[in-house]
Amino acid sequence: MQIKTSLSIAFTLIFLTTYSQEKLLALTIDDDLKENANAVVRLYDNLIEVKAHNRLLHRSKRIVTVLSEAGNSDIGAVVHYDNNINIRKLEAVIYNAFGKEIKKVKKKEFEDVSAVSGGTLYSDSRIKYLNHTPINYPYTVVLEKEIEYKSTAFVPGWRPIEGFYVSTENASYKIINTSGVDLKVKTTNFENYGIEEIGEFDYLAKNLKAIKGEAYAPAFKTYAPFLRVALTKFVMEGVDGVNTNWTDFGKWMNDKLVSDTQELPQAVKDEVKFLTKNETTDMEKAKLIYKYMQDKTRYISVQVGIGGWKPMLASDVDRLGYGDCKALTNYTKALLDEVNVESYYTVIYGDDNLRNIDKEFSATEGNHVILAIPNEEDYVWLECTSQTSPFGYNANFTDDRDALVITPEGGKIIHTKVYETKGNLQTTNAKVNLDENGSISAQVQIASEGTQYDHYNRIEDEDEKGKSLYYKEYFDNINNLEVLAIALDNNKEDIIFTEKVDVAASKYASKVGGRILFAPNMFNKKTYAPPRYKNRKMAFEVDRGYTDVDEYEITLPETLEIEALMKPVSIKNEFGEYSVSIEKKSDNLLVYKRTLIMNKGQYKKEDYSGFRDFHLKIVKHDKSKIALKRIN
Amino acid sequence: MRKAVVIVFILISSIGFSQNYKFGKVSKEELMEKSYAEDPEADAVVLYKKETIAYEYKSGDGFRQVREVQERIKIYNKEGFGWATKKVRLYDRSSSKSEDFLNLSAYTYTLEDGKVKKTKIKKESIFEEKNNKYWATKTFTMPNVKEGCVIEFRYRIESPYIQIDDIDLQYTIPIKKLDINVKIPEFFVFNKLQNPKAIYFPKIEDTQVNRKETLVSKSRTSGGMGKINSNRDYSDWEFKEFKTVVDETNVPALKEESFVKELDIYRAKLVWEYAAYNGPNREIKNYSTSWEQVSKTINESESFGGQLGKTKYFESDVNALLDGVDDPIKKVALIYDFVRSKIKWNKYVGYRVNDGVKKAYKDRVGNVAEINLMLVAMLRHAGLNASPVLLSTRSNGIPLFPTTSGFNYVIAAIEVPNDIVLLDGVNTYGAPNILLEKTINWQGRIVRKQGTSAWIDLTPKKKSKTISFMNVNIADDLSISGKIKKHLTDYLALNYRERYHDSKTETIVSNYEKDKGNIEITNLDVKNKKELSKPINYTYDFKLDNAIEEIGDKLYISPLLFLASEENPFKQETRIYPIDFIYPTYSKYAVYLKIPEGYVVESLPKNTKVQFNGTEGEFSYIIREQGETIQVSVITDLNKTLILPEEYLEFKKFFEMSHEKQAEKIVLKKQ
Repeated sequence: MQIKTSLSIAFTLIFLTTYSQEKLLALTIDDDLKENANAVVRLYDNLIEVKAHNRLLHRSKRIVTVLSEAGNSDIGAVVHYDNNINIRKLEAVIYNAFGKEIKKVKKKEFEDVSAVSGGTLYSDSRIKYLNHTPINYPYTVVLEKEIEYKSTAFVPGWRPIEGFYVSTENASYKIINTSGVDLKVKTTNFENYGIEEIGEFDYLAKNLKAIKGEAYAPAFKTYAPFLRVALTKFVMEGVDGVNTNWTDFGKWMNDKLVSDTQELPQAVKDEVKFLTKNETTDMEKAKLIYKYMQDKTRYISVQVGIGGWKPMLASDVDRLGYGDCKALTNYTKALLDEVNVESYYTVIYGDDNLRNIDKEFSATEGNHVILAIPNEEDYVWLECTSQTSPFGYNANFTDDRDALVITPEGGKIIHTKVYETKGNLQTTNAKVNLDENGSISAQVQIASEGTQYDHYNRIEDEDEKGKSLYYKEYFDNINNLEVLAIALDNNKEDIIFTEKVDVAASKYASKVGGRILFAPNMFNKKTYAPPRYKNRKMAFEVDRGYTDVDEYEITLPETLEIEALMKPVSIKNEFGEYSVSIEKKSDNLLVYKRTLIMNKGQYKKEDYSGFRDFHLKIVKHDKSKIALKRIN
Repeated sequence: MRKAVVIVFILISSIGFSQNYKFGKVSKEELMEKSYAEDPEADAVVLYKKETIAYEYKSGDGFRQVREVQERIKIYNKEGFGWATKKVRLYDRSSSKSEDFLNLSAYTYTLEDGKVKKTKIKKESIFEEKNNKYWATKTFTMPNVKEGCVIEFRYRIESPYIQIDDIDLQYTIPIKKLDINVKIPEFFVFNKLQNPKAIYFPKIEDTQVNRKETLVSKSRTSGGMGKINSNRDYSDWEFKEFKTVVDETNVPALKEESFVKELDIYRAKLVWEYAAYNGPNREIKNYSTSWEQVSKTINESESFGGQLGKTKYFESDVNALLDGVDDPIKKVALIYDFVRSKIKWNKYVGYRVNDGVKKAYKDRVGNVAEINLMLVAMLRHAGLNASPVLLSTRSNGIPLFPTTSGFNYVIAAIEVPNDIVLLDGVNTYGAPNILLEKTINWQGRIVRKQGTSAWIDLTPKKKSKTISFMNVNIADDLSISGKIKKHLTDYLALNYRERYHDSKTETIVSNYEKDKGNIEITNLDVKNKKELSKPINYTYDFKLDNAIEEIGDKLYISPLLFLASEENPFKQETRIYPIDFIYPTYSKYAVYLKIPEGYVVESLPKNTKVQFNGTEGEFSYIIREQGETIQVSVITDLNKTLILPEEYLEFKKFFEMSHEKQAEKIVLKKQ
């Protein structure tokens, strides 16, 4: 689903200063910098020379001391390149802990491999990397690079702290702009880390401690320092562009990348007009067109040159029946245009984490493209790379984030659909028969909506055996589970996925000293609680809320009577709500009810233990059992 | 007579519909088909696969291997779309050493308005990727793919190599008709075998056929009066060919299953070994004829045996290391640790050295062969009866027939009377006789100094043990505090070291706390993390809430607390492939639970013993009340390491019973 990301990854960097031999000694590192660090960036000097709107040079000198095995990748000896990126210099020297040279690696000795990966079928980007087997830790690598870019849509930025578990002793970043083209620079979180601006486009960072990852922490970029830069006039793979703000950047995308690619063959034009001739509303037409596109295409990603940014021709998509996110979105747009439904090509970060396009800083961003259809005051978002997604369903990948919507008038930043807690609903109903040996048989029905609907594609494609195993895993709290019947209903119109599953399990309830212990929460037992931290360092957040409602009718055999039921529980706090109860409807009919609401939210680090505690309580009450006794 | 045959033929074929497998002859019936009768859940099916291998002869150039592949694939639904993309891996070095991919022709057939539409692949959908120094990938993806379509393609690979790659006889989708045809000139002697681990074996037919080539030679003759005539002489060259044919219908799909790390080891395939060259001019070159011969060939090569004789490069270091040490066991330990601390593995596998032992020693980096051949040489230098052991890693398959490529790894062995000690210098956290899992693959071939060789069993016999002691105290508020002492040996110790060698205490604690409810672990103390020949011993204290259920006025406790494995990992009803535990295990939990004040025991779980296949697996649960404590001992003893599909159900039951037992509860009541 990606747009070409090689350059954004090559968020790598530059230099200048001479360094003292001291940087080669692992022993001289300050203890503060070693704490939580797998590697220490001793020095990283970056110099960006913008020579022209179509030429920039990135020179860097980098010294990294690797403290342990997990830090090997932090040496950063990886360079992406393609036809518009020329590696002018690449050289590494490796030193042992005492600063003694172990080996020198020249450019031609770097491994050279293709960078085709993930879901991409083919791309022209390649990687050179240092293949080094460390003998001992710590060791130090000095890396010198000179990389020339003819494509300037991405200008290498700067991350003074490069990621988790790596500290920075000294790093600098400087731009010399002799191109006559205006630059835009944005720094984020610099003030919190004492990063100095020592001149025009000239920055210096010192002694930045390593950051440790924590569960539920906000995205790294929200608190770590980073710098972004863009040229107001640039070249992208041979195509000239402008970028002073999102409006003109978006306009450029529209005019140069999108608008000339939408011509369709006459036969297709006729076909879609005929297809939608009876529909009166835009949404009804769009639904038919979306289905038409889904049935006609599949996702294939090929990224070559400007093709990493510019969609394939809509007519080619029509002919070949495949394309990547750009191609399929653009094709859908072309089809919609034909039936006079307005829609916009939209650049976004597709990720289950909520990741925004930066509203305030226009630059080449995003890794995915979707389609926006204006619908009254709002938009419907179409994921065009899926052959199975319901119309307008974009949960868990492109929901709740700022996206760049490309209109003929220019780019606009618009927030995508938010899936609300109460709509992310899973309702589980069951009718259960318990026998006097503790065995159960049950008819279970699970209806999922909103973000929870999404799991349909994990089951639907499985064969019978796979489906049966899926439910054995899903109800993994029940040993000896037999799956007797499965009926699935995927209602794409209302976006509800309903699973009807008949199951049985011998000895589900345990016999203990003449009584039967029965856990009434059979079908939605929470077992996970967030990890414990002695000192929680970071704030935390829950990206998406959800609601689970369970109700089970349990029929007891005549031969058993109730000895003890559990007390009802009801908890409500800022993190959510949880309630369970079991009610005796008659001598042999019990009704178990459970509601769990997990709120979306952002919280202070001080509240983390309360958050964990809330989870632990749910885990505990979900395990609760009742005692039944044989009637004599 | 003839009539009868025709009638029978028509009858049979009319059950399905007549099928024409000629390239381009895709039928409407094939396009209309909604599912595959033999396997209705298949997302796609290979209607026809043809693969021919032959050696084409060109005067002057000699033989060149030509592999022609033709496939017709029916795609029933969207999940089958992946089959519309094909990747072909090609050996790619200098031009004379590379494989050529040629003559690709490919079409997608769809049914549109009742008519068959044919869409041809074009250049835009064909890609060549240079993966690295050795390999390239040709990828093509079909145009106009829709549910129900049929794709068909053919291509040709020309190779300068005589060796034939494995021929897959099974895909992860069914193959309706499989047609393999291999013809090898008599000069190239091959051994071949079907993968013995497969569960499907097609019939293979072998015959001999005659072949005739016309040789062209140029000669010059004097035509008299100073005139030179240039002539072409033509002569016939006749020789035999070995022909191998597979002609099967309804090849079942290779299905995935849990606990199978590499599905490919169960794939039906034909494996070929180029054994000898038996040239037309009677020159004979043996590559592999017997295991003895293979071992000898390897041993005599400079990149293997030749490395064992070199000692100068390490002599002074090793002499210093062993100075004053007489005990052979100590010598082994010293040399093994010395090699591992000195030379780091560069992730390259193989039994042949790359740069050689000397350079590896100097650079302190080496491949498997450099490290382990050096280890053997040092052990020999120290007077020990050490030898290299050739083996095949799990992913390389088991060594089938005498072949130098059947092996891909080498370790070291020391032979002492009645015993053998195996060492692998690549296994950073291993101890003697504790190998990396990937190298424990049936048997290895020990190559002794004299050049003789023999098989040795690599399967671990010794049990890897985990022994846990736990003291449990219950407070008035029903929270639990306790202490755990754990002892891990052999492979279980290796696993622990591999997982936690680089971890801080805090990380380990956090891992232990995972999924154990409201627990807090303190005072973790791990012993022998670095003393590799000793067991891992660790202790910690814990506090645990919510582990006791209070129902009515009674308390219910599973005495193993979080040590119990309550979920049976074996969920399938049947199995296709075996489950391989690799090494036998023994686990024991001993729990001492103090009865809280004011409570007495109302009931205890019953003592139980369950067996699997006699004593191949044994589970016992013993519980008793002794004064103020309840003592529980739970032992799981698993001698059998390979569970065959036919044994699976019984094995699953064995596990079920042991899991149920571990979940059983003690009931305490108020006094």
